[in-house]
Amino acid sequence: MKLGVFELTDCGGCALNILFLYEKLFDLLEFYDIKEFHMASSFKEHDHLDVAIVTGTVSCQRDLEVLRHARNYSNYLIALGTCATHGSVQGAVEGKLRDKLEKVYGTRANTMKALDPKPVVEYVAVDFALPGCPYDKMEIYQLLLDLAKGVEPIKKDYPVCIECKLNEYECVLVKKGLPCLGPITVGGCNAICVKSKLGCIGCRGPLPKEANPAGEFEILKNLGYDEEYLRRKFKTFARGELRW
Amino acid sequence: MILELGEFTRVEGNGKAEVIIENGEVKEARVKIVEGPRFFELLTLGRYYWDVPDLEARICAICYLAHSFASVLGIENAFGVKVPEEIQLLRELGLIGEILESHSLHLYLLVAPDLFGYPDAIRMASKHGEIVREGLALKAFGNYIREVIGGREIHGINVKPGGFGRYPTEDELEKIDKSCDALLRFAKRAVNIFATQEVFGAVPEYHVATDGYLYGEKLIASDGERFDYFEHIEEKSLPYSFAKQSHYKGSVFMTGALSRLMVKSDRLTPIAKELFEQHKEKLSRGYVSLNNLAQAIELVYSLERAKEIVSTLLDHGIKGENVPIEPKEGEGIGYVEAPRGVLIHHYRIDENGNITYSNIITPTALNHALMELSLYEEARKQYGTVDENFLKHKLEETVRAFDPCISCSVHFVRL
Ligand code: SF4
Ligand code: SF4
Repeated sequence: MKLGVFELTDCGGCALNILFLYEKLFDLLEFYDIKEFHMASSFKEHDHLDVAIVTGTVSCQRDLEVLRHARNYSNYLIALGTCATHGSVQGAVEGKLRDKLEKVYGTRANTMKALDPKPVVEYVAVDFALPGCPYDKMEIYQLLLDLAKGVEPIKKDYPVCIECKLNEYECVLVKKGLPCLGPITVGGCNAICVKSKLGCIGCRGPLPKEANPAGEFEILKNLGYDEEYLRRKFKTFARGELRW
Repeated sequence: MILELGEFTRVEGNGKAEVIIENGEVKEARVKIVEGPRFFELLTLGRYYWDVPDLEARICAICYLAHSFASVLGIENAFGVKVPEEIQLLRELGLIGEILESHSLHLYLLVAPDLFGYPDAIRMASKHGEIVREGLALKAFGNYIREVIGGREIHGINVKPGGFGRYPTEDELEKIDKSCDALLRFAKRAVNIFATQEVFGAVPEYHVATDGYLYGEKLIASDGERFDYFEHIEEKSLPYSFAKQSHYKGSVFMTGALSRLMVKSDRLTPIAKELFEQHKEKLSRGYVSLNNLAQAIELVYSLERAKEIVSTLLDHGIKGENVPIEPKEGEGIGYVEAPRGVLIHHYRIDENGNITYSNIITPTALNHALMELSLYEEARKQYGTVDENFLKHKLEETVRAFDPCISCSVHFVRL
């Protein structure tokens, strides 16, 4: 199978995480031929791809062109990481683009054709969306193996809380009153931040169904957290998706 | 005529360059950072200080801990908080993990294919599998430290103002201690490999670094100056790049592994010091390509220093106590050495603990002007004597020597 990895505007983490598979990467290479992976290789062959992985948000004209290319030349497109699936932190910056440019660069001129950062899923149809800032690297390993073997990949649809229970971590929301977004965030990270005795900051994006952000908001408000503080916290990785 | 260098490969993020040639002579070189802007300083405005280091981590995955720590230091300085030795050492250990992870990524996976004539390390592995696997082992070890200290290989949230969420166990520290010895052999071999690389790129007028080896209270420069960044470093926006450009006292300067060795070699650990002395003459020539060799020496330094830190911590025993923080109005700067050089986070915070001003300057932005100068000088030297493909390849190698981190470089603000 022919594989391409395309990076739009982001921190590089979701592309880098693929390299962090180490020896497992060599296992994948038994099924995949890497035709483009610009962070890791100077090799590039622009023909049809079986699988294109896209990370990052669409934040400038260049990103849009790269994304269109990846979509048009591939059978399967994977939006990888919360930037690509939900917009992640840069998607959460509020305000008009020209005002933001002025504040950062001292000019309203948009010579480099910046766009408001938006997730990949808002521009093109994707076949798989794997969130996480970054995702757990074993998830992409599994997804690529499933695709290579023609197995239908499993989607995670349970909250981080389930993974706390499985690991027997003390609930930081109930026991310590920390603002933990575990109940409304989709699991898959093995509740790694709660292992550090800290509240989940929601980096895997909102739980797709049965989430109750309004209930969570109420609980945290009753614990004494400021509404504006909570509003921003809820928005950080999810743009406008969580409503309450 | 404009010679276009398409998007750089084997670097982090998306950048391009163009070399302008008039009447057969190289006139100018421009480095264009085409990665979109990420508006981080705006993201942090109005946010509660406690959450800010986790957001700033997302600036860059390769050096997320450097961003978290610079952020934490800026916040602690704003509140006038000092942390005890245990926390300082654990922070240093985290930064060492990051140096190991980042330098080995750069040296083995990004630069080595140039030396051995391959488009990437994966294809290089068929003939030189041992070297690639040694690099991966160093990288995995660096990441293990990042996970222990930072909470996750990438974007962990364990680093907090006043301390940590979770402190490492003795077992985890002992495991670090054991791996250091085993990996030292690989790091020494890296020094031998990169010592053979020919020199290219420009020679900077000054080197700039933090006053401690991996973080500090002020910046220092090779002319002996000890200063705050706003005293001597000037930034300007460019019409053709999402990254700004900086000068030190009006001159082009460098920051990174080579700069650290040039201004702080007196702090090196025994074997690293010996290797530095052995290659001092070459390093002192100052070409940016020597940054690769300097990084290899820092792999050795990092393994030796990690061992020292771990043994001190194990001797004293881990107490695991955070310093309590009371938010109050203040202003603070955090200076940290990211693997690729000086990283600055500067904040003002109000009495409720919310950020009112934030300024971030990253090493790639600090090196932006020198990167252009290096391309210019390299192009002048080679243009007309070699074919165009070779020239382009050479120019890309020149950019790569900076180990640029483009994602980091695309967001700056002064409010
Ligand atoms: S989702 Fe997070 S880790 Fe992935 S590229 Fe975006 S900011 Fe980086
Ligand atoms: S616990 Fe929450 S913040 Fe931490 S990795 Fe999991 S989803 Fe992300």
